[in-house]
Amino acid sequence: MPALSGELVVFGFASLLVLAFALLMVVQKTPVRSVLSLVVTFFGLSVLAILLAAPFIAALQIFVYAGAILVLFLFVIMLLNLKEEAADKDDRPVQRTLGLLVALALGGLLAGATLRAPLPPRGTPTGTPIPMPDEIPALGRLLFSDYLLAFEVLSLLLLVAAVGALLLSKRRFE
Amino acid sequence: MTGVLPGVAPMAVPPGAFLVVATLLFAIGLAGALLKRNALSIFLSIELMMNAVNLLFLTYARMRGDLAGQMIVFFVIAVAAAEAAVGLAIFVALFRAHRTVDVDKIALLKW
Repeated sequence: MPALSGELVVFGFASLLVLAFALLMVVQKTPVRSVLSLVVTFFGLSVLAILLAAPFIAALQIFVYAGAILVLFLFVIMLLNLKEEAADKDDRPVQRTLGLLVALALGGLLAGATLRAPLPPRGTPTGTPIPMPDEIPALGRLLFSDYLLAFEVLSLLLLVAAVGALLLSKRRFE
Repeated sequence: MTGVLPGVAPMAVPPGAFLVVATLLFAIGLAGALLKRNALSIFLSIELMMNAVNLLFLTYARMRGDLAGQMIVFFVIAVAAAEAAVGLAIFVALFRAHRTVDVDKIALLKW
């Protein structure tokens, strides 16, 4: 049995937070509450990312996901003035049950499969070893060498998406 | 150049635990996507599923000591931002036309 290290405690707390608020997100009827639950989930996920030695992704998770995407969701929900999900009159119980069953089955299947899968071997470090405290510079170097093309395509995609969103939500084509 | 995680210490938390959390999160997101009737809530659930996969990538990156997994997560987050912008714009346009974002009522292309 492994000793109860601080890391283990943080992991337990964060994963509990993530799963509990994800469930809460699904159960909530009001979209605004769903979004707010998801914010807590994303904070928990960024704690998990830090545990996985990915501080840059953790920061990105909070800045981009919790800070930008979910705020956009909130804006749209409030703009559309969505009420509760129409009291959720349960007019299709078969589909609900089926959906729940499928989700449960897939969750069990995936959990079993991931646990049984052979763990990938530790990669053999081929690059020059990087000093301990900074992997963010390493990530940056990687981004602007191996992934440069993808990065440029990505910036183009963001531009296109911004223009497209503007066009789509315009009131009327003149 | 190859990205290698600097000085990867042995993990205090067994990686399988992260994998299980990620898969459970994915299943929860799937349940939300299947059970919700509000298009925005379905969209939120899909975001949750994407984050579950991101967690999987980060775990494997940590296990292999390879930065490529983190790189993919970076790209997934950026694409998710673009996707959210366009998707939400579609919902706004949809709401203008139909006064609803209930996927049961928006069935124009269904049959």
